[in-house]
Amino acid sequence: MRSRFFLLLFVMAGLVVAFAPLPVRPIAPQERNFRIEARQYAYSPAELEVNSGDTVTVQLVSTDVVHGLYIDGYDISVEADPGQTAALRFTADRSGSFRMRCNVTCGAMHPFMIGKLTVGTNGWLYRSIGLATLAVIGFLPLSSFITQKKKEH
Amino acid sequence: MKRPELLSRILIVAATLGAIGAPLFFWTRTPLIHAQMAEDGGWSPDVIQAEVGKPLHLRLTSDDVLHGFAVGQMQMDAVDIEPGKVTDIELTFDKPGIYTFFCTRWCGVNHWRMRGTIEVSGSDPEPVLSKADGAPLYVSLGLDIDATHDAPVIPETQPSAISGQQLAANLPISQYANPHFYRANSPYQLYENLNSTDLSDSEKWDVVSYIWESNTTPEALASGRQLYAQNCAACHGENGAGDGVFADDLAEAGESSMQNMTGATEMAMQTPVDFTDSKRMLGASPALLQGKILRGGMGTGMPMWGSIFTEEQIWDLIAYLYSFQFIYQGATQ
Amino acid sequence: MSRIELTRFPIVKSAVKNRWPQLAVFIVMLAGYLFAILAGLIGTPVGSHNFSIVFVWIAWWAILILVAVPFFGRGWCAVCPIPLPGEWLQRGAVLNPPDKNPKWLNLRWPKALRNIWLQNISFLLLALFSSVLLTTPNVTGIVLAAMLFGAIGLSTVFERRAFCRYLCPVGGFIGLYSQAAPIELRIKDKQVCVTCDGKPCYNGSANGYGCPWDVFPGGLTKNTCCGLCMECIRTCPHDNIAINLRPFSADLAKPSARMDEAFKAFVMLGSAMIYAGVLLGPWSALKDAAYNVGTGAWFIYAAAFLGIIFIIMPSLFAFCISRFENLKSFKKRFATLSTSLIPLGLMFWVAFSLSFVLTNATYILASLSDPLGLGWNLFGTAEAAWQPLLTSILAPAQTLALVGGLVWSARTARKAASEARVSSIPVIAYCFTATLVMLWLLL
Repeated sequence: MRSRFFLLLFVMAGLVVAFAPLPVRPIAPQERNFRIEARQYAYSPAELEVNSGDTVTVQLVSTDVVHGLYIDGYDISVEADPGQTAALRFTADRSGSFRMRCNVTCGAMHPFMIGKLTVGTNGWLYRSIGLATLAVIGFLPLSSFITQKKKEH
Repeated sequence: MKRPELLSRILIVAATLGAIGAPLFFWTRTPLIHAQMAEDGGWSPDVIQAEVGKPLHLRLTSDDVLHGFAVGQMQMDAVDIEPGKVTDIELTFDKPGIYTFFCTRWCGVNHWRMRGTIEVSGSDPEPVLSKADGAPLYVSLGLDIDATHDAPVIPETQPSAISGQQLAANLPISQYANPHFYRANSPYQLYENLNSTDLSDSEKWDVVSYIWESNTTPEALASGRQLYAQNCAACHGENGAGDGVFADDLAEAGESSMQNMTGATEMAMQTPVDFTDSKRMLGASPALLQGKILRGGMGTGMPMWGSIFTEEQIWDLIAYLYSFQFIYQGATQ
Repeated sequence: MSRIELTRFPIVKSAVKNRWPQLAVFIVMLAGYLFAILAGLIGTPVGSHNFSIVFVWIAWWAILILVAVPFFGRGWCAVCPIPLPGEWLQRGAVLNPPDKNPKWLNLRWPKALRNIWLQNISFLLLALFSSVLLTTPNVTGIVLAAMLFGAIGLSTVFERRAFCRYLCPVGGFIGLYSQAAPIELRIKDKQVCVTCDGKPCYNGSANGYGCPWDVFPGGLTKNTCCGLCMECIRTCPHDNIAINLRPFSADLAKPSARMDEAFKAFVMLGSAMIYAGVLLGPWSALKDAAYNVGTGAWFIYAAAFLGIIFIIMPSLFAFCISRFENLKSFKKRFATLSTSLIPLGLMFWVAFSLSFVLTNATYILASLSDPLGLGWNLFGTAEAAWQPLLTSILAPAQTLALVGGLVWSARTARKAASEARVSSIPVIAYCFTATLVMLWLLL
């Protein structure tokens, strides 16, 4: 019975870690401007960090061929020719980590032309680390309980 | 041989021949024009034959990045050529001759070199007995478009066409507000002509800017602005300062080519011209700029646009170039 | 251990015993494979619109790593077309019984190479060039053709499926991970095999061929080397061979102590992490180094790749498990305990592939209609736009895969460690650390 109790405890803990809303530090939304240069096959800067609720403007400057910038999760994009900077403006209302990808075929390594936008905290990274830790901690005494039980029988 | 064995062998051979033969068959029967970055060969084929009056059906694909297709000096919208996909275009030519087709989406520093020709044969249905156009203006004016053309005097602040309009109300400017004067003279020369008036230096420059603006229209400036953005900004910079995304590459290429050059240093590769440089721009007449645009830069990386732009497009573009020097009333700045 | 015999069901039994269903699948696969080679060589050089790249590295890879391997073990090997032309040549027939006098050399595979080291090397060779391989159609076409002709060539010199068993880069890890799958091919009654005369399951008979994988089915205890070709089921005169449904990773309860397999686990674990960092990360220097084959940067990248896999990761593992007093047969313990990394490696590849596949799956639609980039529109989907799918569930799905893999590996480690009478904590700690790195790389 005790092993079942512990199993239930860890499953509950797991659900909390996976689904409980994360504590949010209320930061007033700001206007953020970024200038990203795109080349075959990288963005520069490739990693952007904003706070949840910020109004973000990304100026995409292509420096060799036509590139695009698509943001996972937000499903928005923009494309720019060299010589014609294009702007992508949006409100960062979803938090987490989102990959930015080029959406205009720009050569061989185009599918791997990737950047990263982090809005607020990267919730899933912390949740997954929490779950992995929980799994390892919970697993060891739990399993030893089970093996103890088996030995006793 | 047993029947199942025979059947299985027939199926295998049929599937094999089909899987290999079908793609080969269709591939040989699908002539495509391949677009590649200029460094990898540009257009292939790059010479196309056509006949006057007969629709020319072209099928184009890109082998690497996004390209575009348009024919110079022809009324047509540019068409995008997407990597891995086929675009169909139909063209009909009224007059025989050699037409230039070119790439319309920036595909590297050598994008402008991506050009080919369409040789249209046949008889001209409306033969023109005398060529009205003749030689470009800079030739008939005897201008050396490679010589320096610095204005000896430049304004201290950016001249305003709005102020210029008020000042010009009482001046006899009709002689200047016409293409014959405008095209053959630089802003500095007009400034000199205004020495007969009793305006201050900055007021004279204001009048110059107003007269320059009155020699064009808002539509022409808008057209020039779009042409600039699509064709020039990548090297000359979105704000005309010669700092476009390819400026560094051109400078680098220039340095390395200089090491191989013997003789004249004025043939060296330069960084793209800075249109905000008042000395150079105000000393240049539209005819001079037209010459540079038509003929290109003779080894500097400046393309020749003669076969691509119509004369009207070039005048529109030139009008827009001066808007880097003057504050115009139109909503173009 | 509970097992459900699938071949007990008539429909399964007849599908397996009858040669035609499998042959039909073979013909489709072979045609597709040859078409992929052609597409790679003469189709558009743009990878995302070429059948060879889209159907090999997106469609086939997705099915392989997300469905075939986790649920069917060597299920792909059962239908793979690569060995077929060579095998038909070898046998001199497609369906007919084997020739009494074999036409070809039929040499035994050399003893020193009877391991998966060659497969470790062939996989790494592809991995080092993966940035070019995954994106350039004619490279994929050449590699596919090389594997096909290599297999044919080996079939004319060596007996059975030498390429599949000892050289195929994919087969190496499919075999390793098939130990975790819930499907197996085993004999029903050992006594029947003891009294069986001639062992036709291995030597062939008028009813069928001997095992092409050079396995004696009567002695099969693990999935690793059985290619699920079903030949022995057809050949066995006593109907003593079955396909069973069984618990996941049943084979890992009796872990192998082979060094080649141990290092295969490190090869797969390490390359999943390196791929995640290089291909899915935002670090352009790594991508440039990986793509520009032959440059100084690439040599450094290749050296780092091999160093991580052959030196750093195994050393750390060895360090973790070396803290025990019982230092007898360290090598055996190293190999046995590293089998715990198998579930983790599999889930690492699932998590990595989920991102790549969901992002690019829509290319499959366009490629179906215009496989060569010639402007066709066979099914009306040639203009289908690129659109990442299900991105909102990607992070939770990867979390589930990686944490699930960690728990799975921890359980496996526990069993393996208790058999070796050591603590499983160091191995679990190692798995935990690797999982943290992979989570950070992917999320």
